[in-house]
Amino acid sequence: MFTEYPLLTILILLPLAGCLALLPLWNCRVSARPVALGVGLLELALSAWLYGSWRELTPLQAKLPGYLLVEDAPWIPAFGIRYTLGLDGISLLMVLLTSFTFCIALLVSWNSIKEKTGLFLTLMLTMEAGIMGVFLALDLALFYLFWEVMLIPMFFLIGIWGHGRKIYSTIKFFLFTMFGSLLMLLAIIALQLLHAKQTGIATFGLHELLKTQLPADTQLWLFAAFFLAFAIKFPLFPLHTWLPDAHTDAPTAGSVILAGLLLKTGSYGLIRFGYPLFPLAAQTLTPLFYTLALIGIIYASLVAFAQEDMKRLIAYSSIAHMGYVAIGIAAWQPVALSGSILQMANHGITTGALFCLVGMLDERAHTREIAAFGGLWGKIPQYSFFFLFFSLASLGLPGLNNFVGEFLVLAGTMKKAPLVAALAFIGIVLTLIYTVRLVQEVIFQKERQPLALADLSPRELLILAVLATVDVWMGVHPAPLLDLIHGPVQLLTGGGL
Amino acid sequence: MMPLLILAGGSVLVLLAGALRPGGYLYELAGALIAAALLWSLLLPAGAVMPGLSVTPFSRFFWVFLDSIGLVALLLAAGYNRRRGITGEEYPATLLFALAGMGAACTASDLLMLFLGLEAFTFAFYILVAIKRDSVKGGEAGLKYLLNGTLSAAIMGMGMALLYAATGTLKLSGLASAANHPEALFLGGAGLVLLGMAFKLSLAPAHLWTADVYQGAPAPVTALLSTASKGASLAAMLLLLPLFGAWHGLRDLLWALALFSMLAGNFAALRQSSLKRMLAWSSVGQMGYVALALVAAPSGGLRAAVFYIVIYATAGLAAFGALSALSDRFEPDRLDDYRGLGYRCPLAGIALAVAMFSLAGIPPTAGFIGKFGVFNAALRQGETTLAIIGILAALVAVFFYLRVVVMLYMKPAGDSNQLRSPGFSEIIALAVPTAATLLLGVHPQPLLDLLAKILT
Repeated sequence: MFTEYPLLTILILLPLAGCLALLPLWNCRVSARPVALGVGLLELALSAWLYGSWRELTPLQAKLPGYLLVEDAPWIPAFGIRYTLGLDGISLLMVLLTSFTFCIALLVSWNSIKEKTGLFLTLMLTMEAGIMGVFLALDLALFYLFWEVMLIPMFFLIGIWGHGRKIYSTIKFFLFTMFGSLLMLLAIIALQLLHAKQTGIATFGLHELLKTQLPADTQLWLFAAFFLAFAIKFPLFPLHTWLPDAHTDAPTAGSVILAGLLLKTGSYGLIRFGYPLFPLAAQTLTPLFYTLALIGIIYASLVAFAQEDMKRLIAYSSIAHMGYVAIGIAAWQPVALSGSILQMANHGITTGALFCLVGMLDERAHTREIAAFGGLWGKIPQYSFFFLFFSLASLGLPGLNNFVGEFLVLAGTMKKAPLVAALAFIGIVLTLIYTVRLVQEVIFQKERQPLALADLSPRELLILAVLATVDVWMGVHPAPLLDLIHGPVQLLTGGGL
Repeated sequence: MMPLLILAGGSVLVLLAGALRPGGYLYELAGALIAAALLWSLLLPAGAVMPGLSVTPFSRFFWVFLDSIGLVALLLAAGYNRRRGITGEEYPATLLFALAGMGAACTASDLLMLFLGLEAFTFAFYILVAIKRDSVKGGEAGLKYLLNGTLSAAIMGMGMALLYAATGTLKLSGLASAANHPEALFLGGAGLVLLGMAFKLSLAPAHLWTADVYQGAPAPVTALLSTASKGASLAAMLLLLPLFGAWHGLRDLLWALALFSMLAGNFAALRQSSLKRMLAWSSVGQMGYVALALVAAPSGGLRAAVFYIVIYATAGLAAFGALSALSDRFEPDRLDDYRGLGYRCPLAGIALAVAMFSLAGIPPTAGFIGKFGVFNAALRQGETTLAIIGILAALVAVFFYLRVVVMLYMKPAGDSNQLRSPGFSEIIALAVPTAATLLLGVHPQPLLDLLAKILT
């Protein structure tokens, strides 16, 4: 049922329709917020429905193996660009994560955005549409379009509602991302031309381009361009410098979306496009990929330990956590890849929650310095409980979600590259050190904050309780999610279904 | 033929009307005349052909394109000139004359008519740039443009003389066939013509006039100068292109022009603190991409070049339109003057921001499709090096375009003086190019189809 409707297009257009609905409420903060949240919830309901019924959807084995839904229409025939959207298990997980994260982000910014609320909500919904498009597009040119479209709202989000050196940070964020993506654009065009030379058909469709025969050195150049674009988003070690700045200066909702979704577009792009399109080159560059990921894990953990600003600390921990995702992709082995994909969702939820927590503290005390707090457990117990809970999740406590992802990544990598897996273990120890420092200094120890802080409001409690429930559910019972991505992962890594 | 006659005759008519009834409805009359020429070229098929002019689908497309720009520029100028005290019949009359010249330039079938058309509209711009007589900057800009312009006209005239001496014909078709067996004289002539065209398109190193002239001229004139005159020059360039295929040296020259323009324009724009100067330098860079498309002409570059000029024109009109809508009795010129204007004057802010994103080539604006087409053609032609340099220069450009958006939306407003809200004609003149920029970004196929048809 319902599958005769263009559900994927609806996923993209629904937030944009929400923007139009917001126009008459532009200056009316009180009524604009529920409308935007309603659109977000509707989107969440649609993705949840897709998730609930994915087993009933008939897989399109004949046309595109592994895909549940595909929509295809010509868009710019002059360049061979088509409007092709496809949903498989991996995209579905990401779609679910996207719609969920946006609801959280809208809720968390409920009171903190006091100026230009109409513009803020419109940008949020536009960004949701862009990110949905990134996770659904199966035409490289279309993918590139969404890839860039999602940047513009984030640029405004950091620049208008950010703190501190917000303009420096937002321009840095934009330029870093553009640098990678512009070279990727050239590579995408070159790939299409090479394909056209071989077959006479000009197309940007992923599944046509997968059939292109490319010599090893051409692959290497093209893959390098793709890799650069995705590695910046990831972010991998020497290209990560935009991330701490962007995170620190972004408003809470911006940080949640950056950590929860924008970083994931990099890893998703590598899984969906980079590796499958250029298998030879990917193999050649695997040692480099491992090395950068390992350096990233260890370096970012060490730097995180030295941070005084909580948001910066969590930003660096993000880099370290994404390092595990990178290792799992580099291993390109079913168990490790499943772990990576699951870890993408896990990291989104856990780190998103931590950013929410820091944001809540910032709203109360107007500082994010670790040194400004201490002894919160006695002062605001509910808040402290969740702070401890998500910190433990972040360092990989068994039973919570990060454990599952990291475990699968390391177990899978152990088979292919034992040394890498062993070194990555060091990273887990380092994670322990900086997380324990954070928890100890903020929640325990002596009370240093003179202000009387209020404990969680019902809205905040709702956000954190929902996040915690999802966290536990994914940690205790990840099997349904693993089933969901099993088929596509098998196809990607070369096994049969 | 009729649209050209309407414009040229209309120019005289407006002058006469101004003399008889000063302060009458001159802008309205001029607008009606341009609209008539526009409709005529849009609806009625190509009519009579006179020596030196041949009306083809190609020229009709450019007529429609240029007349639309002219109409928007006139709408902008109407309010702007009233506020700035630029009165009299010479403005609308000269504008009509410029449009007639542009129309002739893209319809020409021999060198003489081409030269006449090009110089006719350039001549009109000498007047328009300096139309505000008490403005020092305007006078300086007009003089600079005049001196540079006459030099380039002389160079081009010399080139055409050499071409005539080599082949004995002025017909473009005859010259194109002579290009297959070129002799030294012919090549020298073609080279000089190419240099003259580089001036009109402000390709580096013949771009030095651009920044001063764009800055000194009134904003609606700059709007017209940066869009319509570039469009008409590109049309003339396309008519002349068969001549330049004669020898690989000429192609290399074009290659170098593209390279220098992309680099010089985009890097120099980084250092500007005046918005108009920045846009001027950026237009040098933008023309570099057009030249890159021309280098790739055999691989579908022609369509990419014309598409690029169309989207450049819509973005340029939106940007300079926003500038003229925002200017009251004085014109804000420093980038700092635009702090927080995005909130105080939403429509102009949106137009300027969309134009910046489009010029930077970021989807979903049309600029992305334009760059996509250019790089597609360049890579197909095998110009990988130039394409990579071009795309890195585009990255540099992203920075200074973003600076404008940052000023508009992310800096607190400098003073809280009440801003004049734009008049009806300005709302139209801002909304149309902005909407076109967005529309061409998501639905470019009809225009691409049309271009494929007219460029065969």
